[in-house]
Amino acid sequence: MRARKAIWINGVRAALGLGRGWPSKVMPVLLFIAVITPAVVISIVASQIGLDDLDLPGHAGYYSMVSVVLILFAAIIAPELLCSDRRNRVIDLYLVRPLTTTDYIAGRWLAFFSVTLALVYIGQIVLLIGLVLASDDPLQHLQDNWLDIPRFLGAGVIVAIFITTVPMAVSAFTTRRAYAAAFVIGLFIISFPISAGLTECVETERTTARGTSAQCERPTGDAAKWFTLIDFAQVPAQVNSLIFEESSEPDTVKLGRELNSGIRIGWYALLTIGPGLVLWWRYRGITV
Amino acid sequence: MPPLLEAKELTKHYGATIALESVNFQVDQGITGLLGPNGAGKSTAIKLFLGLLKPTSGSAEVMGQKPYELVESRERLGYMPEHDCLPTAMTSSEFLTHMAQVSGLPPAHARTRAADVLRHVGLAEERYRSIGEYSTGMKQRVKLAQALVHDPVLVLLDEPTAGLDPGGREEMLALIRRISRDFGISILLSSHLMGDVESVCDRIVVLEGGHVIEEGAVSRFTQETQTLFIDVDENRDKLIEALAKRGIEATVDGPSLVVNRESDEQYDAIRDALVEADAPLRRMAPGRHGLTDIFRKPPT
Repeated sequence: MRARKAIWINGVRAALGLGRGWPSKVMPVLLFIAVITPAVVISIVASQIGLDDLDLPGHAGYYSMVSVVLILFAAIIAPELLCSDRRNRVIDLYLVRPLTTTDYIAGRWLAFFSVTLALVYIGQIVLLIGLVLASDDPLQHLQDNWLDIPRFLGAGVIVAIFITTVPMAVSAFTTRRAYAAAFVIGLFIISFPISAGLTECVETERTTARGTSAQCERPTGDAAKWFTLIDFAQVPAQVNSLIFEESSEPDTVKLGRELNSGIRIGWYALLTIGPGLVLWWRYRGITV
Repeated sequence: MPPLLEAKELTKHYGATIALESVNFQVDQGITGLLGPNGAGKSTAIKLFLGLLKPTSGSAEVMGQKPYELVESRERLGYMPEHDCLPTAMTSSEFLTHMAQVSGLPPAHARTRAADVLRHVGLAEERYRSIGEYSTGMKQRVKLAQALVHDPVLVLLDEPTAGLDPGGREEMLALIRRISRDFGISILLSSHLMGDVESVCDRIVVLEGGHVIEEGAVSRFTQETQTLFIDVDENRDKLIEALAKRGIEATVDGPSLVVNRESDEQYDAIRDALVEADAPLRRMAPGRHGLTDIFRKPPT
């Protein structure tokens, strides 16, 4: 138990650059700031102008808003936990101790999951505090919106599991952090324009006996909703749209709502359990 | 009480390649050398004892337990690999504390043990520097320290002097002797360097081609030979002639003259020959077998 806990704590420290030189701390600090900044800005704007006067993004839209930063964070930091151990062959020292490869990889996964969960929660907590304080009647605001708290806590877990598992599975295939980070960023960046291109709404005018009306036509027609699944960055958002019953979300997610909820959950499960199994399989076969 | 390590009919095949074939040996307290040329099966044997490989047949037991079935048995083992295996960004203090915790020590105890072990290996002053800034010799010491930090019963050292200069090599060997003598930690030292093994080990197990070809106390392999080495400062040729006059044939071996020992009376004849040749004697000692002789034996 102590061995597993030590792997977890060391993973958290490695992700945050603790116990290492200042260059290792720069990126985690910058990315933490980048995640919190939108929450701080929304809170300040809400306190200055008022909640009712502006259509500010709330807890539902916050994850989508910071998804790019979260992906960057995961792509850059996750390889630090796995690639370095294999490149420096420190893993050889772990595997001759009372640990199995499953213990090691579970400890590392849990460490990065803990850090990403803290990251996604901090922004939401700052936003919650900001919105409560910005309202005319904070207690009333809290009473009216208390359901947002379990929702963003649950949604945070959905996001954190996804952005932990995929980059870690990619990191299991290389000892170079830069290659892993580039692959993950590339995967998410490329998937967005492909999905957008296939699902984009082109408005056309249609004249009927009743008059002229605008109509949305998509290149892939009725199948467009299926292509929303290709946008990897929004995969957790597809599930979170089931948790939050709001519509402040990207177009791909709105279109994806047309899909059965089971399909959206299944796709999310496939893209987390699949890479998770790949990660476990890669380390199961590792030899010193 | 079971032996520290025991190989029973231990066999390991990698496909068609035979790494170890029906090997039997034991490792008890003290320093044991695992000797053999590259490809002899030394690394495979170590990996089997660490539980990193499963035997094809037979068993590799650590204090009566099979490590590939019970990873907890590794708590009592330390391992220093031959290759680089250190995180360059961490300080040795933090790294050792972490490794002690991974080995099962509570955090406070781990910190104390890390500081103690770093002091023993001579890195107390440098413990807060990043390992990436260390010299090769210092890195070898950190590798040794991480193998000792959890106070194991037995440490497996794989080529611990690899890459060290002569001074560093001597320091490492002295450190290994001290670990065994002062802390009572038994050691299995795998090496292809006969000199290293001869100078620190009590016992040896010699592997070649996946088989044990010799096993026993080092002293058994370094017994006196029937030759006598004579070193003189000058007049060596005159001494050869004087010895020949007395019926003693001497051959030149580097700076020494070598004669076959036949009887105690021979020493009187040598003394007389030294006087006659006016050759100042620097050293006269019986020859000894070396571990290298094991590999010079004709195949049986």
